[in-house]
Amino acid sequence: MSNIDLIPPLLIVAPILAATLPIALGLRYDRTGWSVATITSTGLFAAALALASVVYTSGEVIHTLGGYPRTYGIQLVADEFSTLIVLLITGVAAGVLAYTRRGGPRGNTFYTAYLLLVGGLLGISLTGDVFNLFVFLEITSIATYALVASGDGPESAVAALKYLILGTVAASMYLLGVAFVFMATGTLNMVELSTAIPAAERPVLIQTGFAFIVVGFAVKVAQWPLHTWQPSAYQQAPDGVTPLIAALVSTASAYAFGRLIVTVFEVDYLAAMPNAAAIVLTIGCVSVLAGTVLAVIQTEVKRMLAYSSVSQFGLVIAAYGVVIAGNSETALTGAVIHLVGHGLLKTGLFLGAALVAASYGARTVDEYAGLATDRPIVAGSMAVLLFSLVGIPPSIGFVGKWYIALGAVESQLWPVAAVIFLSTMLTLAYAARLLEKMYFTPATVVERPHARGPVATDGGDADRDDDSTPDSEVEIDDGRAAAGLRGGAARNPVSVGMIAIVVVVALGAVALGFAGGAIAELLEPFLTEVIN
Amino acid sequence: MELDILAMAYPPLIVFTAALLVLVLPRLAGFAVGALSLAAVLAISLVAPEGQHLAGTFLGFDVVPYYVDDFSRMVGLGLGFLGVCSVIYAYSSEASQTLVAFALVYVASSIGAAFAGDWLVLLFMWELMAVTSTLVVWHYGGEAVRAGFRYAIFHGTGGVLVMMAVAVHYVEVGTFIYSDTGIASGIPALLAVLGMGVNVAFIGFHTWLPDTYPRPHFAASVFLSVYTTKTSAFVLYRAFPVEGTHELSIYVAYMGGLMAVYGATFALLQHDMRALLSYHIQAQLGYIVAAIGIGSNLAVAGAMSHLFNNILFKSLLFMAVGVVIYRTGEEDLYKLGGLWREMPLTAIGFGLGALSITAIPGFNGYVSKGMIFDAANPSYYGQPEYQALYWLLWLGAIGTLLSFIKLGYYVFFHGESDIDVADAKPGQTIAMLGLGGACLLFGVWWQGLADLAPTIHGLEFEYSGGESHLHPYSLSHLETAGILTGVAAVMFVVVRKPLSKLDLGDPAMVVYPATYAVSRWTMLAVTETYAAVDAAVVGFVTRCYWIGNNPVLAVDAAARRLPMVDVEERRQTDGGRPSTIHLRTSIGTTVLLLTILLTVVLWLLLK
Repeated sequence: MSNIDLIPPLLIVAPILAATLPIALGLRYDRTGWSVATITSTGLFAAALALASVVYTSGEVIHTLGGYPRTYGIQLVADEFSTLIVLLITGVAAGVLAYTRRGGPRGNTFYTAYLLLVGGLLGISLTGDVFNLFVFLEITSIATYALVASGDGPESAVAALKYLILGTVAASMYLLGVAFVFMATGTLNMVELSTAIPAAERPVLIQTGFAFIVVGFAVKVAQWPLHTWQPSAYQQAPDGVTPLIAALVSTASAYAFGRLIVTVFEVDYLAAMPNAAAIVLTIGCVSVLAGTVLAVIQTEVKRMLAYSSVSQFGLVIAAYGVVIAGNSETALTGAVIHLVGHGLLKTGLFLGAALVAASYGARTVDEYAGLATDRPIVAGSMAVLLFSLVGIPPSIGFVGKWYIALGAVESQLWPVAAVIFLSTMLTLAYAARLLEKMYFTPATVVERPHARGPVATDGGDADRDDDSTPDSEVEIDDGRAAAGLRGGAARNPVSVGMIAIVVVVALGAVALGFAGGAIAELLEPFLTEVIN
Repeated sequence: MELDILAMAYPPLIVFTAALLVLVLPRLAGFAVGALSLAAVLAISLVAPEGQHLAGTFLGFDVVPYYVDDFSRMVGLGLGFLGVCSVIYAYSSEASQTLVAFALVYVASSIGAAFAGDWLVLLFMWELMAVTSTLVVWHYGGEAVRAGFRYAIFHGTGGVLVMMAVAVHYVEVGTFIYSDTGIASGIPALLAVLGMGVNVAFIGFHTWLPDTYPRPHFAASVFLSVYTTKTSAFVLYRAFPVEGTHELSIYVAYMGGLMAVYGATFALLQHDMRALLSYHIQAQLGYIVAAIGIGSNLAVAGAMSHLFNNILFKSLLFMAVGVVIYRTGEEDLYKLGGLWREMPLTAIGFGLGALSITAIPGFNGYVSKGMIFDAANPSYYGQPEYQALYWLLWLGAIGTLLSFIKLGYYVFFHGESDIDVADAKPGQTIAMLGLGGACLLFGVWWQGLADLAPTIHGLEFEYSGGESHLHPYSLSHLETAGILTGVAAVMFVVVRKPLSKLDLGDPAMVVYPATYAVSRWTMLAVTETYAAVDAAVVGFVTRCYWIGNNPVLAVDAAARRLPMVDVEERRQTDGGRPSTIHLRTSIGTTVLLLTILLTVVLWLLLK
């Protein structure tokens, strides 16, 4: 068992250490980053599989760093919940890396930031210490800021700056919350806290801490109205990076928030805290509705998908609220499955959007017209993923929503149940827009009468929409025209492998839909432990 | 060994195969195959071993599609024998191959219903029977189409009621297989009575019968007159068997009595010969239903015997009347007369049938009707509560006599025939005389009939109380028959004149215009409402769609209506594509929002 014991720290340390290699070796050799990143992410995925095989057969794996006792030492814990997230992170990271081989971005700085991001995310998933969680949140965030800023044009820089400031404020909120809890209990270990919090002499400190933590995570998970960093960040990040960020960063934060609710504060304690459940429920439900409405009125596909994430994470947060209010095991299952499922779906959708942008320069919903005839495979995969996002069975999107709705109904939280059913309808509204464009609107030949010259400088993701006139109230998209002008000379920007990844994700979303019950069974030991 | 194979053959399938062959074979060969298939049904009914065959599971339910006991054996015999005669009759009546193919499928479903061993198979056959019989009616075209449509509505409704009855029965009992106690009491029994009541022409549910049966081809009428109603009466027995006790039984019995009177009365008032016979179907079913309602051993024996006899003589009458229509082209009995000189064979056939149905001693109707009378008569085997029923049956018998004297008198006697017509064709004659011979046979050799009747053949005709033996030709029975016939004969002389001036429609026929009006207006109301809702929904969706596609224009349009909001005209900057709205919140605003939210959360948690 000792070997297995080492996997959790290795999962975190390996990518962080490897993150230095592309830069360091880059001083001497030009093209080392790709191999380092590939080897590391493949190894991470293999290690995650090995870890999962142990966790799901013989229970959780705990590693105590340095052998210090947990009262003041740091523990890394891989249980049924965190292992699922680790699998998602390593799997998606490997898939997206494969995509970027041809789709871009490339370069040693990208690989460094990529590895750092993966390390931070795995740290968030595995840590058993609330302060350590803050550290990993920061590592993740810094890597993300860098990745967003690597998009070309001033918009990316602005988006990254916005993200940087708001992300830091949010992390500070979380840190303040942790500080309050630490004042009341004197420990930072999650398991220790779970016993210390109910026994705390000054519950006001705990409540204040919880308030700061809730607000901090509301920003991190991009809940309305604190989501403002997220759409710009997703939209302005390079196309190959968006899937990674969209699928993993907020997911890891949402996981951490869920972990704090069920393991640290514990459901019973929060249920007894006045208004706690109502606050979490309200934030989630409002985000579901606001996120969908904002998604419907978007014209940019990536931005629309970003707002869709606001509403889908709202669903997860609302599910946490149901867990607190109704002590509902079903809702927690739903939250976990939807977390993983949404990560997978958004990976596929953003990869699909990147593919379309790379091959067509199409970025707005209108430009997707006639995609189904020109690119049937990509359009078909995106259609499958969109249907899954709406929650049409059999798909992972359906399973998650089903469990959450079931939990809400079981707990007799009718408004929440109504919001969940309504969200399905509203999700259909923006999914249908895209589907209609792809399948029923013929492509227009003359799209851009005022095309300007290409301004691509880096070749990798040359088709990016890289200018929008300041002070103008319009968003001008000339990517398509640019692609048209350049098309003959440039090599085909889309490889079979890139399409294959999107198809695999779409198939996986459907396959997991059938495996929904199996996932719920895998989670069973964790659920019975945290829900009485 | 061959006998075993024959016994195991599933009768409906044989007939169904024959129906398909009729379509493809030459006419003579096809009809021969059809007749042979029904002869096979007859043979199988005789030799098939008792018990459940072909049992299996369907959709997880136990089903017994082929169940042979004394009851289904008797019904199978009757249906098979009649089928042979009907196909021969249809052959010489110039019935088309399509018609006979439809008729044979219909016969197959009816035989399937008779041999069903569980409610699920029964239900399937029941619905199939409704569909195929409608096709038989429709095939004729013209007037028959609308009548067939009404027929279909009635049987569709009845079928749904039976389906619900079977469903509730399954819920209560947990199996579809027939049991000794019939259908579960309470709601299933009530639904079953109502649903089957449509098929056995309860008063109020009967209007399809005189409406439909006079319309199609006269050979089709022969098939129709027997299979639906007789099979349904038999199924009614399956729901209310002799061992079962249902509180509904007494109402069923009295409904039977009323049907006998009602049917006979309206038969008397008809001018159309086939309509007259159709009302007699209802009247004779009344006897059967009454006997099933009484439910004693003798009554059930009477019901089954009368059912069996009815198969024989009712079809015989339809055949004879069919020949008259075929030769003269006339449906109104008052326009005919003296035909016995022109078509003596047909007159003999009609005579045999009429004497049987009116229960003249020496014919089978006398024996079976006598059993029902005895079972109802409180001074024989009946219970006191059946006294009134007994008189109702009496009245029905007089009405039957009267109407058949009328029919026979006006068609075959009553002056000289003013038209020269040929007699029945050979095939028609064979069919009629075959059936008539059977009527006579079972009237004289009544022991054979009694032996066939399931509930009494094991008992050596012994009963407790009364005469303790079946004595159809005892003095008192003959006396009763004599009184009945005498009363009827005298009455006919009295009412003949006024009757010929009367042509009363069935009061229940009001149902049709009423149903037509109601359904037309409800349909209009429904479609108009639907159209309104549809327009509203489509309008709403179109608007939503437009808003979704043109969010900016929508926001502009909404903002223009607000007071104190200045909306600047938008420049078309993008080749017509509406511009986007900028909803970007700045960093500072977000931090403000964050602070407000934190304050609210803190206030909520700490207050």
